[in-house]
Parts: sequence; structure tokens; C-alpha cells
Amino acid sequence: MQFIRVNMTDKSILVEDVPQDYTGLGGRGLTSILVNAEVPPTCDPLGPENKLVFAPGFLTGTPLVNTSRISVGAKSPLTGGIKESNAGGGIGAALGRLGITAIIIEGKPAEGDLSLIYVNGKGDVTLVPAQEYQGMRTYALVEKLLAVYGEKNSVMCIGPAGEFQLASASIQSTDVDGRPCRAAGRGGMGAVMGAKGLKALVVDRTGKNPDTIADQKAFMEITKYIVEAVKADHMSGEVMPALGTAGLVAPVNAMGAFPCYNATKGQLEGWEKISGETMAEIIKERGGNTTHRGCDQCMIHCSNEYVDKDGKFITSSLEYETIWATGGMTGIADLDVIARLDNLCDDIGLDTMNTGVAVAVAMDAGYREFGDADAAVEMIEEIAKGTEFGRVLGSGPAAVGEHFNHHRVPAVKRQSIAAYDPRGMLGHGVTYATSPMGADHTAGNLVGAYLENKLDPLDPEDQIDTSRFLQIAMAAFDNTGQCFMANVALLDPEGLSTFQKILEAKLGVKLGEDYFPFELGTRILKAEKEFNKNAGLTELDDRLPKFFYEEPLPPHNKVFSISDADIDSALDL
Amino acid sequence: MKLMVKLHGTLRQHFPDYQPSQGIEVEIPQGATVKDLLKCLNIADSHRPVIIVNGLVLKEEDQIPDGTAVDVFQSLQGG
Repeated sequence: MQFIRVNMTDKSILVEDVPQDYTGLGGRGLTSILVNAEVPPTCDPLGPENKLVFAPGFLTGTPLVNTSRISVGAKSPLTGGIKESNAGGGIGAALGRLGITAIIIEGKPAEGDLSLIYVNGKGDVTLVPAQEYQGMRTYALVEKLLAVYGEKNSVMCIGPAGEFQLASASIQSTDVDGRPCRAAGRGGMGAVMGAKGLKALVVDRTGKNPDTIADQKAFMEITKYIVEAVKADHMSGEVMPALGTAGLVAPVNAMGAFPCYNATKGQLEGWEKISGETMAEIIKERGGNTTHRGCDQCMIHCSNEYVDKDGKFITSSLEYETIWATGGMTGIADLDVIARLDNLCDDIGLDTMNTGVAVAVAMDAGYREFGDADAAVEMIEEIAKGTEFGRVLGSGPAAVGEHFNHHRVPAVKRQSIAAYDPRGMLGHGVTYATSPMGADHTAGNLVGAYLENKLDPLDPEDQIDTSRFLQIAMAAFDNTGQCFMANVALLDPEGLSTFQKILEAKLGVKLGEDYFPFELGTRILKAEKEFNKNAGLTELDDRLPKFFYEEPLPPHNKVFSISDADIDSALDL
Repeated sequence: MKLMVKLHGTLRQHFPDYQPSQGIEVEIPQGATVKDLLKCLNIADSHRPVIIVNGLVLKEEDQIPDGTAVDVFQSLQGG
């Protein structure tokens, strides 16, 4: 239960006990409440007053499976508001096993100064000069770092995009095989890390000093229940291990809500070529791995290892949102190209979603043709080179739209939408507009409600309430470090109340009846909204771009039709 | 009526000779519902099958439109 404060201005490291106010918080809850409490909301996101917070979930590092996620929070250079972006891999559990609640990066070093943080197996933290790694891409960087510090370490790091402090820069996280292929991608957290002069965070995975679990017996009993629930769920127990999140390509295209060619169509011609089913066949034929464990303590194995025709590794894990952004939005219906673009983004340290959509906006503006694979590769390579156009592209779709004076920019708070068009799935528009994070794919995703016929995606009725419930529930789950794939197995009332019991078992207290997810999720969202308001964001920032209201999306030929007043009621908590 | 059915998600694993490019042919009575078709295919509810026609998710009691090819997907949560 420790905060580690690392000041990059004077290179001091302060270890302190976690204040009482933060009891029960981890992950997004911790990063958002701390950023709201300690970061001046009007500060320069790339200046010394911003703080970059790494926080494993409240349950990360415990024996509960599927809980290895780590949240990264700060004021976002992309949205101008608060940001939490979380990632899987090994580092979250590594910190949890050391009893480290958060590492908080403060201050700012002299121009050009570069460091890394090393946390050894006893939890000792040191700040190490890292000038020799300047400019390195993430795969080469991690190879070197693991050679220096040993294979039993996990790494979070930035590539050239983070060093250039670009608003689409990600923080990459190593999977259990030591590859920087998982990402805290959204909101430019890599740019904040770059501004702090921090190239990497390296954490020993052999720590044996996790926080105490107050009622170990109850904790283990509930763990068994959760394991069974996850196994029994058709998604987490059956589809994810076979296809991963790419399984969504088929049903979302069939529903006509797969935004493609920069959100001018809702069905990609030839979507079968980039579906999860096709991806799994290709991987199997070539001897890759369709069912891969990417994260520590994972029992779902939604990850995959995509290989080329010679069986050589290209990327891991090829996911739905990446396939959509770099394939659907650009009109490149070719999984080999998409896998290469995914790897390129991981290597340069870029959010695949913001970057794929930025490329699509440039193509839509006439800079290159849709479907031009070579052009997509060249454009993204320009980001790594730091050319003038590369810096525009690496700043995201809104910057590209401004550069070309092009109106069709599918983003909210300058963050790209996800792989669900708000004209074909109205509730996603509600979440995109109102999430304090900007347009987001996990904050309140309604596709399951549509596929299960609980809600008509084209009828405004009940979209607001469903988005609100899911935004609250996801904020609460994001506090715990449990993976989304496991969360979905626990979204019914019995699952939610059982999940509360595991929090009680860890804390050793009885929580209020409405604690999980309502009280906890609401507390987190309120802190995030408060920060955004104080940062100067208003209701006008909670709006979809105008073209979603004016340009009908084939095949349903609908526009977004939820009123501003209803939108404003969604998170009136 | 005869119709071609394409299976998505993990559903095709239950049909060993399934060819993705062709799908499978089934014969169901005129006016058969989604529920009837899924029963005919022996696809259990636990797999959360979903039939989408013309961009719309059909309900269990909806009739299968005559003469169309049908795609059966699986419900998934997104994130």
C-alpha cells in the first residue's frame, strides 16, 4: 500500500503510505481521483504541473485471475481533459505483487534529459539515466532492457512518437513473452511520458509482497465462483479463445454499423477477408497461435500471434479495434497489411485507433487513395521520422482534419471514435459524446445489448439509460484491474453482487449495498467530470461532429438522432 | 423452403464438414421462425446465436424471410 512519487525535476524519489482517502481505489479510480485532486486542471499537459500516474487495479496482484491490468492517468494532451488508459501484459501484476499502489511521475527534467525507472524484486525504486535509448523503437528497446535487467521483468515504454510528445503516442506494455505489443493507447499518455523524460518503467516480476487480503478464505471461495462464471460464459469461455475480439468484425458489419472509408459507409466491401474467422484460419494455416496468453494470470487467452506466410511473427495481438481503424477506415481489406500496421504502431508507440483514423481522414481529404497499403505504411513511418506531416498525423484525426481543412473527422474531444458508427448504433454516440475520456470503445459499449435484442440500435429509446449504466459499471470495473473479457461474464445482478463480495474480502469491511458498481463508478465519473469542467470543457465538448447529424450512413441511411438535451442528461449524476 | 446458412463465430466448429465459402443448406417449412431454424441446426441458446438479416437483428419469434441466405452470428460484448 505505497505511493512512489518520482520527481523528474530534481530526480528525487519519495515513498509514502497510501492516504486513507484512497482506500479501495486502484486502476482508473485511483488515477482519476488523484489527478483530479493534485493536477491543476488548466495546466499544460506536457508541462511540469501535470502528473503521470501508473496504477495497477485494486485486485491486481491478488490470486484472482484475469486482473492484471494497469491504468495510466494524467491530463490528456489530446482531449485537454482527464485521461485514463489501461493495458494488459505483465507489469500490472508485477507492481501488485510488490504492494505498490501507484507510481506517480511529477515535474519535468531539463530539455533532452531521458531516464528510466527500475523497480527491483524487493520494491526498491531507482531512476536510471537512459540517454543511450533515445529514439529507439519499442521492440528494440525492450530487447535491450530485458538483456540488461533480465527476462523476469516487465516493461512499459514509449517509442519515437512519445519522445516527440505527439497526442496519439501510446505507452506500450510487454506481454508475458516480453514483447511490447499491448498498449495504454488512448489519449496521448505516451506524450506525457515523453514530456516527463521517461523512456521506460521496468519492474521485476518476482515480487512477493502484495497487499494483505483481509479474509483469504472468502476471497478464494469467490475466486472459484468467478473462474466458473468466466468459463461458462460463451464469450469469455468460447469465442474469445478462438477468435479474440476480432470476432466482432462479422456481426458489426452485418448490422451495418462498421464505420469504414472514414465513416462514409457502414459495411466494408469484402469484410469477410478481415474477419476474426478468417484471421483464425490464416493463423492456423501458417502455424501461428490463435489462443495466446498475453497477460499475467489470464485464463481467457483472447490474444493471438499473427505470423507471415513463412511462419514469422508479425504482431500480437491483432484486435477488433485495430483491424477496424487500420483496415476498415482506410479501406485496406488485407489482414497481412493490417498486422504490419499494428506492429508498426506498437513499435513507434502509437494508438492504433487514433492513428488508423488519422490516416483515413487524410485519405478522405484526398492526400492518398483509400485502400493504398503502401501509402498507409509510408504515412505512419513519417511519424517515426518526425517529419512535418508525420507530426500532424501523429497528433490524431482532428489535427489531420485541420491540416487539410477537411470536415469529416470522426472524433469527440479530438479522440477518434471506435469501431461502431453512432448512426448505426445510437447508444455508442451517447457514450462517445459524454464519456469524460472522449470517444471511447470500452467506457460504455452497447453492442452486446443490441446483439442480444435488449435494445434496438436505431431507436433513440433507452439508449441514454443503457449508456449511463454501462459507463458507471465500466468505471467501477476499471478500478479493479479485471479484464473486460471477464467483466462481461459478471454483468448480471448476481455477478455484480458476487464481485462486490470479493472487494469486501480484500478490504475486510462490509460495503454499502449499492457500492459496486453504482457508488464506486459514480464517484470515479464525478471526479473525471469535475476535472474536465475545471479544465474548461463544457457541454459543447459533449457533442458528436456535425457530419454524424447530417450525412446518412449506408446501409440504413440514418443520421444520429438523439437530442442535445438527452445527451446532457446521460451523465447528470 | 431450402436456404443457405452461413455460420460465424465458433458455431461452424460444430459442423465438421463446414465450408466457409458455401455455408450449409437446410430445409425448413415456409414461415419458420428464428427459433425453428436454430432448432433445426441444433444450435443451443448457450452459444448465443444471433440472426441478422438486412442489417437487423431478428427476434426469436421472427419469421425467416423467404429465399434469403441467412447468416448466424454469436452475440458478443464489445470493448
